[in-house]
Amino acid sequence: MARVYVSTVVNGRSDRVWARVRDFNGLPNWHPAIAESRIEGGEPADKIGCVRDFRLRNGDRIREKLLGLSDYDMFCTYSILESPMGVENYVATLRLTPVTDGDQTFLEWTAEFDCAPDREAELVGNIGGGVFQGGFDALKRSFGG
Amino acid sequence: MPHIVKSTILSAPSNAVWAVLRDFNGHDRWHPAVAASTIERAQTSDKIGCVRRFKLRDGSELREQLLALSDLEQTFSYCLLDTPIPMFNYVAHVRLLPVTDGDRTFWHWESRFTARPEDSKRLTEMVSEQIYQAGFEAVRKHLSEAV
Repeated sequence: MARVYVSTVVNGRSDRVWARVRDFNGLPNWHPAIAESRIEGGEPADKIGCVRDFRLRNGDRIREKLLGLSDYDMFCTYSILESPMGVENYVATLRLTPVTDGDQTFLEWTAEFDCAPDREAELVGNIGGGVFQGGFDALKRSFGG
Repeated sequence: MPHIVKSTILSAPSNAVWAVLRDFNGHDRWHPAVAASTIERAQTSDKIGCVRRFKLRDGSELREQLLALSDLEQTFSYCLLDTPIPMFNYVAHVRLLPVTDGDRTFWHWESRFTARPEDSKRLTEMVSEQIYQAGFEAVRKHLSEAV
């Protein structure tokens, strides 16, 4: 099983950063790679089990299911139902933790999945260095570092 | 039950920070409040259950026991056994996580304890600032001097 771990620090209080990322239907509002998103079946975006169907700027479509969401612990866990990436059993978590020493937030984005062995390094690089770090970089820019 | 959570970011890789923190008998080398540290019964400082005896700069002494230590997770937990301070059932957890973006370290230090209601606020502030926050600053300084 392949693992991705990417973490960063954003110059903003964790409640403000969480308000930006907690919306399971809100990726287009902060992630530069995502063009549009909708929740299937007209369900609320914080209903556990809801499915988001989103389109990347490169045209790819991905469907993901919300598995866990906690405003108290500030994490969001989801799985991929359908994607062109060639991954199986993909489960990812985005987690925020306050940095008490200064108004900063520590963010971790992790994923575990199965894939063809010869594609593992490429997928880990694309997901970690591309998708996750790309989202972090956008958050850092919008919070000023 | 008072619950203390303090965290900071250090500009050093987590392996370097862990090398400093993992020695349960080494806190006298960096923490300003600790004058001397010894492990009882000549045990090694990474043996679970070992007891360290601190002599603080103010002359008081306390004993703490190592409850858990993980090099994989870069965590350790300990409890207070004896102290002149009216704190009871004190259990603390230290956790390091790598900040992959910039090769830095997130350091999380938390504890719970019981105390008489009239002591809770004072003890919470004392542990938060004089132990945890002062520890953050001391390790930051220790690491910059080691380079």
